[in-house]
Amino acid sequence: MSKIETFHYDDKIVRNFAVVTVIWGIVGMTVGLLAAIQLVWPAANLGLAETTFGRIRPLHTNAAIFAFVGNGIFTGVYYSLQRLLKTRMFSDVLSKVHFWGWQAIILAAALTLPLGITSSHEYAELEWPIDIAIALVWIVFGINMFGTILKRREQHLYVAIWFYIATWVTVTVLHVFNNLEIPVSMWKSIPVFAGVQDALVQWWYGHNAVAFFLTTPYLGLMYYFLPKAAKRPVYSYKLSIVHFWGLIFIYIWAGPHHLLYTSLPDWAQSLGTVFSLMLIAPSWGGMLNGLLTLRGAWDRVRNDPILKFMVVAVSAYGMATLEGPLLSIKSINAISHYTDWTVGHVHVGTLGWNGMLTFGMLYWLFPKLYNTKLHSVKQANVHFWIATLGIMFYCIPLYWAGWTQSMMWKQFEPDGFLSYGNFLETVTQIIPMYAMRALGGALYVGGAIMMAVNLYKTAKSGSVEDKSTQAPAREKYVAHKGEYWHRWIERRPVQMLIGSTVVILIGGLVEIFPMMLIDNNVPKIESVQPYTPLELEGRDIYIREGCISCHSQMVRPFRSETERYGEYSKSGEFVYDRPFLWGSKRTGPDLHRLGKKYPDSWHYNHMLDPESMSPGSIMPPYPWLIEDDLSTKYTAAKIKVLKTLNTPYPEGYEDDAVDDLQKQAAEVAASLRADGINQENLENKEIVALIAYLQRLGTDIKPELMVEQ
Amino acid sequence: MYKYILSEAGNINWMALFALITFMTVFILSAILVFRKNNDFITKMSHLPLEEDEAGSTK
Ligand code: HEC
Repeated sequence: MSKIETFHYDDKIVRNFAVVTVIWGIVGMTVGLLAAIQLVWPAANLGLAETTFGRIRPLHTNAAIFAFVGNGIFTGVYYSLQRLLKTRMFSDVLSKVHFWGWQAIILAAALTLPLGITSSHEYAELEWPIDIAIALVWIVFGINMFGTILKRREQHLYVAIWFYIATWVTVTVLHVFNNLEIPVSMWKSIPVFAGVQDALVQWWYGHNAVAFFLTTPYLGLMYYFLPKAAKRPVYSYKLSIVHFWGLIFIYIWAGPHHLLYTSLPDWAQSLGTVFSLMLIAPSWGGMLNGLLTLRGAWDRVRNDPILKFMVVAVSAYGMATLEGPLLSIKSINAISHYTDWTVGHVHVGTLGWNGMLTFGMLYWLFPKLYNTKLHSVKQANVHFWIATLGIMFYCIPLYWAGWTQSMMWKQFEPDGFLSYGNFLETVTQIIPMYAMRALGGALYVGGAIMMAVNLYKTAKSGSVEDKSTQAPAREKYVAHKGEYWHRWIERRPVQMLIGSTVVILIGGLVEIFPMMLIDNNVPKIESVQPYTPLELEGRDIYIREGCISCHSQMVRPFRSETERYGEYSKSGEFVYDRPFLWGSKRTGPDLHRLGKKYPDSWHYNHMLDPESMSPGSIMPPYPWLIEDDLSTKYTAAKIKVLKTLNTPYPEGYEDDAVDDLQKQAAEVAASLRADGINQENLENKEIVALIAYLQRLGTDIKPELMVEQ
Repeated sequence: MYKYILSEAGNINWMALFALITFMTVFILSAILVFRKNNDFITKMSHLPLEEDEAGSTK
């Protein structure tokens, strides 16, 4: 026996992360609630640019994912890692840098997103300076984690730690690839990939943000905190090993299921479907492993709110991971995609799996961290029921809304016309369901606030002295013959790191590589031309305002869509789209074939007050676009960057760009004046650029080409 | 149009096949190896999270 060593766990860092998890959780959910209310009453955007739907939706998603769940991950990792390895964290300084760095990033996000500073890549909206900060802080976390692993006193790495390692590796790879961009200014960049490729990389990222930020680290937490709370080991440790390798191997391939029926090549779509279906196996293996851990302890589940939270969390994980693969089947996806069904699906995962597991973990942790008992078990029970009810009120109406709207989009009259030719009809139909969803969200936030009070009182009644603990030093390990293969990995974190990197890279490379190869082979369409400087600026306004959060630009090859919108979208049409703006949700109609559908003045009036053109519309008004002057400060710089990325503008065009912009702006202004819109300095206003862009959308394909199909 | 992309990109069927085969290999191999062996070790591993409680060490 080696000598016993005495040391302290660093619980201060755990307390810090736990507290901000609660705070950011409530902030993020409240912003989500505001967004939900705006879909019922657009006036709830408060008349401010900073709080309109398109800008606060990314704020909500980023806050929920990176601030709430992110800090939740760090809370759990910093607590469990030290204990599983029987050592203090590698470096207190790194822990602090990690903590404050991450909070600073969240603050930067909370400031820049409402200001409209966004890359428009979903769940990766933050602009390049913040991207770099994220990378640095993430590396600090990595060094701290691996340093801790190397100085461990426990020889073997428990399965939760493998999930943490895989998370770290994969998030690093994803973050770097999806944020390859060239800065134009401090707060604006242009991605190096365009159109179809940008879409593929983005959804490879987007999907794996779900996989490796919302799932794998939380599975690690489940494998630690569920046994802790249940006071019994995980049902099958063997199953957890297969769960781990199966999951990280398959997950990375499934991204293209977000792009079914789009202009993404068929083979990539099929790959996404096949691997998504295979995902059921390891996911359900993990879920059963979690639930069966409670076998024989179900009587305790009835009384213990912590276990209740965890049971619902694991069940929600099971539901979401069954539904996900089903939604990846093309015929089901054809119905669900672009509707609120997807939003419902996501929230089973986030509210159910992430939220409930976090709540359970926090209720378990706070008494431990403050050396006391939970202030009120009864209130925790009430929270549990409110949260569960909230999830149901949130999700069921959205499934219903999604289904209803999709059916209305696709319904034809016997004479061959769309039954609901006016898109708005399909929106007003589901507004009552949006109202119920908002109620569900309100319940859920209310529960979280209750928890905050309960935990606050718990902390106040306790004390924070960190007691010392003891463990034997690590013995030098002597391998013996015929030893079980996996122990080789369990002992060697570096091999583990390399192993999981290889496993995730195989999937990533096989998917991304061919897309890069066909770079020059996305069918070139002669008539597709780069955007004019004015359109480019208009496009950047579209990005800034987050129109993408309600509008897609991707007409799928269905009769119901070509009838409604026009010719379906071709991959060759997007070669100059940096970033791509296909979108993922249609709260409003698709806009890819919008160009020339309405006169310029229609757009002017519609943007000023959507209800004037479309009574009952829930699109927010954008009066500031009409008041604010268009900035041309970076127009030349944008053209320059685009040229380095091979957009074929003429030699030296950056010098003429602003002149051309002003010429085109004068034309648009003239057409508006001809329709009786008399506003001073009209040609200098942002609205003119936006109209120029909207009128260009989808018009590059010539009518002859469109007929040919 | 998809056919056009595929023919231009060369033969990529092998990629799908390669993916499937590697996956099945990894999966089956790990399953076989894991379920073959050494229950003592597995029990020890699965009790790791509970150790601090069981040892009765100071918190
Ligand atoms: C909250 C969701 C939402 C946001 C954000 C939003 N829209 Fe809309 N949009 C709608 C809805 C709903 C409609 C359908 C009713 C209507 O015509 O107003 C619509 C309709 C439109 C139409 C008419 C399309 C047609 O074919 O009739 C245009 C153009 C449009 N939006 C442009 C924009 C632009 C540009 C932005 C960003 C500045 C934007 N929208 C932001 C919801 C939204």
